Amino acid sequence: MDKQKVLGRITGVALSGACVFGATAAFAGEITIWCWDPNFNVAIMKEAGEIYTKSHPDTTFNVVDFAKTDVEQKLQTALASGATNALPDIVLIEDYGAQKYLQSFPGAFAAMDGVVDYDAFAPYKVQLMTVGDKVYGMPFDTGVTGMYYRRDYLEEAGFTPEDMQDITWDRFIEIGRQVEAKTGHKMTTLDLNDGGMTRIMMQSAGSWYFDENGDLNVLDNAALKAALETQAKIAEEGLIYPATGWSDYVNAFTSGNVASVITGVWITGTIKAQEDQSGKWGVAPIPKLDGVDGAGNASNLGGSSWYVLDSSDVKDEAIDFLNEIYAKDTEFYQKILVERGAVGSLLAAREGEAYQEADPFFGGEKVWQKFSDWLNQIPAVDYGIFTNELDVAVTSNLQSLIDGKPVDEVLKAINDQAKFQIQ
Amino acid sequence: MANARPGNLKRFYDVNGWLFVAPALILVAAFMFYPIIRSLVLSFFSGRGMMMNFVGFGNIERLWYDAIFWQALTNTLTFLVIQVPVMIVLALILANALNNPRLRFSGLFRTAIFLPCVSSLVAYSILFKSMFATDGIINSTLMAVGLADSPIEWFTDPFWAKVLVILAITWRWTGYNMIFYLAALQNIDRSIYEAARIDGVPSWRRFLHITIPMLKPVILFTTITSTIGTLQLFDEVYNLTEGKGGPANATLTLSLYIYNLTFRFMPNFGYAATVSYVIVLIVAVLSFLQFYAARERA
Repeated sequence: MDKQKVLGRITGVALSGACVFGATAAFAGEITIWCWDPNFNVAIMKEAGEIYTKSHPDTTFNVVDFAKTDVEQKLQTALASGATNALPDIVLIEDYGAQKYLQSFPGAFAAMDGVVDYDAFAPYKVQLMTVGDKVYGMPFDTGVTGMYYRRDYLEEAGFTPEDMQDITWDRFIEIGRQVEAKTGHKMTTLDLNDGGMTRIMMQSAGSWYFDENGDLNVLDNAALKAALETQAKIAEEGLIYPATGWSDYVNAFTSGNVASVITGVWITGTIKAQEDQSGKWGVAPIPKLDGVDGAGNASNLGGSSWYVLDSSDVKDEAIDFLNEIYAKDTEFYQKILVERGAVGSLLAAREGEAYQEADPFFGGEKVWQKFSDWLNQIPAVDYGIFTNELDVAVTSNLQSLIDGKPVDEVLKAINDQAKFQIQ
Repeated sequence: MANARPGNLKRFYDVNGWLFVAPALILVAAFMFYPIIRSLVLSFFSGRGMMMNFVGFGNIERLWYDAIFWQALTNTLTFLVIQVPVMIVLALILANALNNPRLRFSGLFRTAIFLPCVSSLVAYSILFKSMFATDGIINSTLMAVGLADSPIEWFTDPFWAKVLVILAITWRWTGYNMIFYLAALQNIDRSIYEAARIDGVPSWRRFLHITIPMLKPVILFTTITSTIGTLQLFDEVYNLTEGKGGPANATLTLSLYIYNLTFRFMPNFGYAATVSYVIVLIVAVLSFLQFYAARERA
């Protein structure tokens, strides 16, 4: 066998291999977007793409729908391996993880402070996407929290909607007792394996797991301590319908089992999906932590923002698209509010007519007006880069508090576990 | 070898032969050997995301003081020590029962017991979640027959959560092991049993002194594969606990911890690689011990 034949064969194999890889490369003009939740983020992004295509007919959009953990996993894998051609042009990142990505993959995301006017957005959203003097990302939906309650159950227990306004957690527990005594329904639902409620309570007092220097803030964190004690108290009183996992949690209030649910505004769509419960729900500010300095009735849970990958070959186009729609188009925000229940963080959008409307589902209350008022009261906190680690430390120790371990020992256990994980 | 066959060397240098195996070799090298070596190198680095620094044995030192790692290791070994023997014994008993030629509908039973391990993992996790929910069918049945006074907290009590995971993996993998035993049982000469029966050996002793020794290589094989499988336990726990390994880390396994270190927490690929090498090490040691224990004594 001669050398040329061998070389020919090797080249053949190599070429066919190259073709397989070549076929996956993207072409300019198409913006690929990764996000989760088909009824919310995906639908909203498709809507935004359609609006942009009207004025820019050459730009096409490819909105890819993954589960949230899959988006994170794929993003992290591609960034770490440096396989930038595997990445999309725009990706949705949950706010708690923003700093983690920005700091651990420097240079991966495009700074947009030259293009976007960040003064137009709620300050806390801009803060969480700022590293040094650069701002990355396009602020999207907020997780402004509210207390959704069943008007009918509370009325049966002898309470009016006025009784639910600006209450404290102690009052909430008191009401809960009477609701259960008179209606047989649990006051609320809670998944004790999920750190969400701790984060809601803590941020409502302007506090977080870390201080402004990014140092661990657990042992002397009055808000965290109160948040844990409050949850333990509600659990001990037997006022919660315990949920295990998300579907169980959602089922607890959609099935009419509990009298209230305290969470981010993005749950509105899920609640309103139960059409037979129309008129039976009301919305009030979340309860306030008792005896904690700076505690208020406004907080945040979740929320996410769009980020442009620096490696994208349609980077400028992608930034322009986000800026056109998400930073300027207030009409768009009215539409996604009415259709999807998305409360954006563009402050000007709150002046639109959709925010003034009364919602018959919530007994004719102007719920959007309320949420946008609360949005402005959310204390800005620095989520830092280790929120997930602290969440795990808290949820793995919360049960021992409920079982009777002194709160200071629990805080110490959380601190010990966290200290090790965040090195 | 002094007198190697003359064709051997010639065959070694034949390009056509190499070309035939080249695709497989390249794939194995790229997707097995390279990752193995790369991850070993990685385990000497630590840092956040892409910003990695060489730390020498720093990750191993970190392991030593990492309480979550020790808990994950303890959980994993607990699952191993309890679940594998239970499953192996159960599979043996089932295989023996289903091998009985007088049993009717044995094909149906075999299929029914084997079916769990080919069912969709996510589907079965969701099924288990609804069955074992606070107001699920398991709790209501237990309470109806008087075995429990109040609903067992399968998902929120650390002890019962472990039991649940063990039940889930036993349900899924017992049938798989049973098939190996059934296949091996077909190969045992029936005349041995006949001779034993004529000698008046009772059936439980035939099982203990004929079946089990004859199945020894297969038992060794299934024990080792089950051990490796349990040490890598991830899917069940991930799906049953929504990726959290809760409550209070009671069901956190080493694999889930690696996942957390890589994807959920601040990504530290180096430390995650170190933890995965712990699994490699344990698998190697346990497999060696099992081979050693089951070796043929001369």
